[in-house]
Amino acid sequence: MARRFRFWEKKRGDRRTGSKMVGSAGEAAFFGSLFLFGTIAMAALWAPNPWITTGSKWLVGMVLASLMFIGAGGFIYTLLLVGTTTERRRALAKRARDIDLLTDALPSPRDFPNVPRDVNLTNSPGIKLAYRLPIIGSPSWRLLVVGTFTLLWTAMVSVLIILAVRKYLVGNPDWYLTVLVIPFAAVGVWAIYYWLRLLLLATAIGPTSLEISDHPIYPGRDYRVYLTQAGALRVQSLTISLVCLEEATYRQGTDTRTERRRVFEDVVFTRENFEILPGIPCEHECDLQFPTGVMHSFQSDHNAVQWRLVVRGKVERWSKFERVFPLVVYPAHQPRPVIDAPSVA
Amino acid sequence: MEPLISIQIQGDRPCFLPGDVIECDYQIDAVLPEELVAVEASVLWYTEGKGGEDMGVHYFERRLPADAEGDLRQWRRFQTALPNSPLTYTGSLIQVHWCIRVRAILKHGKQYCCEHPFRLGRVGLATLSE
Repeated sequence: MARRFRFWEKKRGDRRTGSKMVGSAGEAAFFGSLFLFGTIAMAALWAPNPWITTGSKWLVGMVLASLMFIGAGGFIYTLLLVGTTTERRRALAKRARDIDLLTDALPSPRDFPNVPRDVNLTNSPGIKLAYRLPIIGSPSWRLLVVGTFTLLWTAMVSVLIILAVRKYLVGNPDWYLTVLVIPFAAVGVWAIYYWLRLLLLATAIGPTSLEISDHPIYPGRDYRVYLTQAGALRVQSLTISLVCLEEATYRQGTDTRTERRRVFEDVVFTRENFEILPGIPCEHECDLQFPTGVMHSFQSDHNAVQWRLVVRGKVERWSKFERVFPLVVYPAHQPRPVIDAPSVA
Repeated sequence: MEPLISIQIQGDRPCFLPGDVIECDYQIDAVLPEELVAVEASVLWYTEGKGGEDMGVHYFERRLPADAEGDLRQWRRFQTALPNSPLTYTGSLIQVHWCIRVRAILKHGKQYCCEHPFRLGRVGLATLSE
């Protein structure tokens, strides 16, 4: 940690190379001066002043009141943090989380901290196996977003085309507008083509459903998986893969970026060159032997380990499609009853 | 001069399983007793890697001179049962580490900190199998 004051310091996310004390002092000074400015300006505002009318007085007063509120809040918060170490703050936060009334609303079960809850994965019973897994990123949402964009873009381009044609008809052509309309119309045509293609894909490929015999998943145990794929198509290949992703969120300057990396992939099932007929979906039940010695599902503020089953298909005359079904993996070790750590904060 | 902080895990175990009880001693030396304002000991996990750093405290104790008859330097032992998760993990973008951290807080806001790492669970390295 730097001991001396520096004008420039490196910063990545929440980590700084500069002195913490100087940083806190600067923060307190900023919020303190904000509060001071708000208070003085508020006092000046309510003093007799012929230039400010009663209507604008209230508006300016509200702005100044918010400055006072932000300044006072920030100043008090900074002072509270000065004498508190990171561990103590985290311990106090943990103690608040352990209040029984809040435990159900937390993202992790109490016995497995930082493992995501699996409530949304077990609330839908399957037809053949215990649970029907939900799908991430349903194609209907993509269809809706692309459809809305296409509609708005086409409406805008139509207005521009009508304006351009009208100017031609009255004998006063606007060349700038015509040049502008050509690329806009090209984007519109591409958007319509892309949306129609998505629509055809969604209707021809049909819904994919995946069921699992038990949940949550424990490494080293065996499970059954049941896949149904509806539609009317000739399939070149259909696979189910077990995939593990790491996800890291970090700040770069003022941007927040997320990087994902696949760290594990295992093909569970493959079938090639077959036909799915309307009303007769492709069905397949297979074993899923979950590997041992792998990391459980993990979720913290900036980092995550996610497990999922991915169904990938390659269809004749169509592009590839991919459907993702999340899983929650618990640590392999048999859980023991939780004994609360008697933290003294 | 910086104070010396010693941390020792009973039995010198480098690896624990969820639910195991970790027993630990710590001591602070090379500092005058009146210089020490508080001592904090915690059992915690933290992440390392590409993402922002996350941290979770499983066990925490803060001792003031009044809790230790005016001398916070003497040996102190604590124990806690370790949680079921998160397990120690060395991934490609993310690493999860467990440690015992002892922080000595001195007069005028100076702080010195020492860590003793240990592993929780037996998770292998992340390797992409295709």
